[in-house]
Amino acid sequence: MLLSRVADNLYWGARYMERAEDTARVVRSFTDLILDLPLGVASSWEPLLAVAGSRQEYDAGHARVQESDIVRFLVADPSNGGSVVSSVAAARENLRTTREVLPREAWQAVNDLYLFTSRDTESGVDRRSRARYLGRVMTDCQRLDGVISGVMRRDQAYELWRLGQMVERADMTTRVLGVRAATLLSATESTDDHDEVQWMGVLKSVTAMQMYQRSQRGPIEGTSVVRFLLFDKTFPRSVAGCVQRMRSALSRLPRAPDTLPAVDQMEALLATLPAQSDDGVALDAAMDRVQAALADLNTRVYETFVSGTA
Amino acid sequence: MSMAELRTTADLWDELLETDGSPRAASSELVQQLKGLGLAELQQRQDLAELDIVGMGITFTVYSDGRGIDRAWPFDVVPRIIGADEWRLIEQGLAQRLRAINMFIDDVYHEQRVIGDGIFPAELLAHSVNFRKECVGANPKFGVWAHISGSDLVRDGDGTMYVLEDNLRVPSGVSYMLENRAISKRAFADLFAKQSILPVDAYTDELNRMLTSIAPDGVTEPTIAVLTPGIFNSAYFEHSFLAQRIGAALVEGIDLVVGDDDCVYMRTIDGLERVHVIYRRVDDLFIDPEVFREDSTLGVPGLMRAWRGGNVAIANAPGAGVADDKVVYAWVPDLIRYYLQEEPMLPNVPTYRCVYDDERRYVIEHIDELVIKPANGSGGYGLLIGNLASRTELDEAIGRIEADPRNWVAQPTLSLSTVPTLCDGALEPRHVDLRPFILSGATSYVSAGGLTRVALRKGSLIVNSSQGGGSKDTWIVEA
Repeated sequence: MLLSRVADNLYWGARYMERAEDTARVVRSFTDLILDLPLGVASSWEPLLAVAGSRQEYDAGHARVQESDIVRFLVADPSNGGSVVSSVAAARENLRTTREVLPREAWQAVNDLYLFTSRDTESGVDRRSRARYLGRVMTDCQRLDGVISGVMRRDQAYELWRLGQMVERADMTTRVLGVRAATLLSATESTDDHDEVQWMGVLKSVTAMQMYQRSQRGPIEGTSVVRFLLFDKTFPRSVAGCVQRMRSALSRLPRAPDTLPAVDQMEALLATLPAQSDDGVALDAAMDRVQAALADLNTRVYETFVSGTA
Repeated sequence: MSMAELRTTADLWDELLETDGSPRAASSELVQQLKGLGLAELQQRQDLAELDIVGMGITFTVYSDGRGIDRAWPFDVVPRIIGADEWRLIEQGLAQRLRAINMFIDDVYHEQRVIGDGIFPAELLAHSVNFRKECVGANPKFGVWAHISGSDLVRDGDGTMYVLEDNLRVPSGVSYMLENRAISKRAFADLFAKQSILPVDAYTDELNRMLTSIAPDGVTEPTIAVLTPGIFNSAYFEHSFLAQRIGAALVEGIDLVVGDDDCVYMRTIDGLERVHVIYRRVDDLFIDPEVFREDSTLGVPGLMRAWRGGNVAIANAPGAGVADDKVVYAWVPDLIRYYLQEEPMLPNVPTYRCVYDDERRYVIEHIDELVIKPANGSGGYGLLIGNLASRTELDEAIGRIEADPRNWVAQPTLSLSTVPTLCDGALEPRHVDLRPFILSGATSYVSAGGLTRVALRKGSLIVNSSQGGGSKDTWIVEA
């Protein structure tokens, strides 16, 4: 038994927490990357806005594209709904209304993180403290995940949480692929010496570096990175891995026949993507299509479980 | 390091200390430890407790500029102690009181024998704002209407414990009683190990048992829901806490629907699911827009129909508030004698009823010695303490009383007892009250202690958290 209103809050609570974690990781790995690149190599902060999917919102409020403004916008700006502080605050509001279905420690983890992120937001922007601030965000999100997988019954609330988490996570992986990987693939002709570092940056922004290395032999190579992030189902942040977990969550929730077609559609889409994904423009377009399919799934979930209009 | 100095105030009863400053029997262990700790260490325990409260997200909501703000729950680390022998008498007195009150409510919605027999004046009932004619003839299980109540107790200078009021509508505070214990066990772990302090945690299990017992006939494993006005209500934390502890769904009005079969259902992701018992935390005027306030968005259209048809139990029953009234309060001792043929075990505070000319005249003449209270108010709003008020405030109060006498009662100012409380780095005596919680179903249960509220400002008697009051853990100690 799970109230529709609570289901909605859980699903979105999970999305917000995942968004906070993913945004923190992308900003941190990007900062690391830029520091590694020698002066002279084009080190624009613009791709970060594109990965976060908030270029338009940023441009509306900022005249210049510079590191401190971008990082503040993505991490510390309460008026940006997708910033780390906003995501954590939104997750906390959602979890306040779901406290009776989540383990108590889950609420405490989110509340702790909220208190931490809202206390000194500028330390998430300052380069000297940024890594530590963002690291704490990631650790606390993982702490919450640990509580949920460690003590929660595999009930409807759990499956909705997982569903929200996977939708958001797939969204981030596709954006990293569609922006960063696609750009790198398109630019291979320039035979840039720093390609490897850039591809490492792509992997690190979805915490895939070590797992990629373990699954491959030899040096880092662009198309195999793309394949890993798209198709390796054993990696929980790959697009296929996320989609597989969405399927398992929806199968255990009521009215699966109404919701699973959205997953079928996504899997069909993935199957059409060339296994040798080395065309940057095609990859970017394909990721747009996956994101549209995620949006469809999102609507389907809302109509089935919340509004009752499906 | 400065030693913690414990002081009392002349003519006031202190809950921990005798007038000569030596500890009372039940508090000797605590007092000894407080003296040994020193203020710095005590302050450190207080700071840790406050950190725990923020970290555990124990909050209440205050209203300012039409907006609800989530505040950390105010807690003072020094507990209030009551000896177990005294407590057993209080417990019996409260159970006795609630038995009579429930019989009274059932009676006023049926034959009204209490009026026919000349015990309770008919005109008072006729003017009661909490009497719900829509409840006449309804038959909640066991004849119990006030399933969950919180009676406020205060102790006067001579040590007598009085009942100050009975909260029968949607009394709050029990979650804080439970949380205060969790915090206090961390602060004084050694004392909990050393002596026998009655545990308080059984409350939620007893609540669950009581709610299960009032389910419609034939339902042995009822689905229970806690009905909250929503996240902006000042007690939302508690609604969510209780739902969590008893495994109930926390619902808002929009989550519920009454079907053509007059049963109550909630909207779940599986579709509609039947609800058998509703622990409502919404005032009864708002629970059903078909019957009560049409503009209510907090309620469920048709809920009263479902309740009257016996398809859902509601705790507290609609209409139970008729006895939560500072006028009815004045009659409770008479009601105990009338319904139970027993003498009240717990005394009432003497109460002047402004509806009677002679009592009103006395109130107006002695207004600077009395506490003036609205007959239907909660949260301390509208309350006036005569000896602290200015002449203008007193005259305004007289105007209000004369305009609507039935709505006002007055009581002598009691010198509320004190407990040493950590204030600005020193231990100062501060006034307290006590709200125990009483569950009534097939049987009754009284919480082990209750919520002790403390007025943090020197000399203040206002303990409400909405007006700057704090709280303490309450220890019932086997001496």
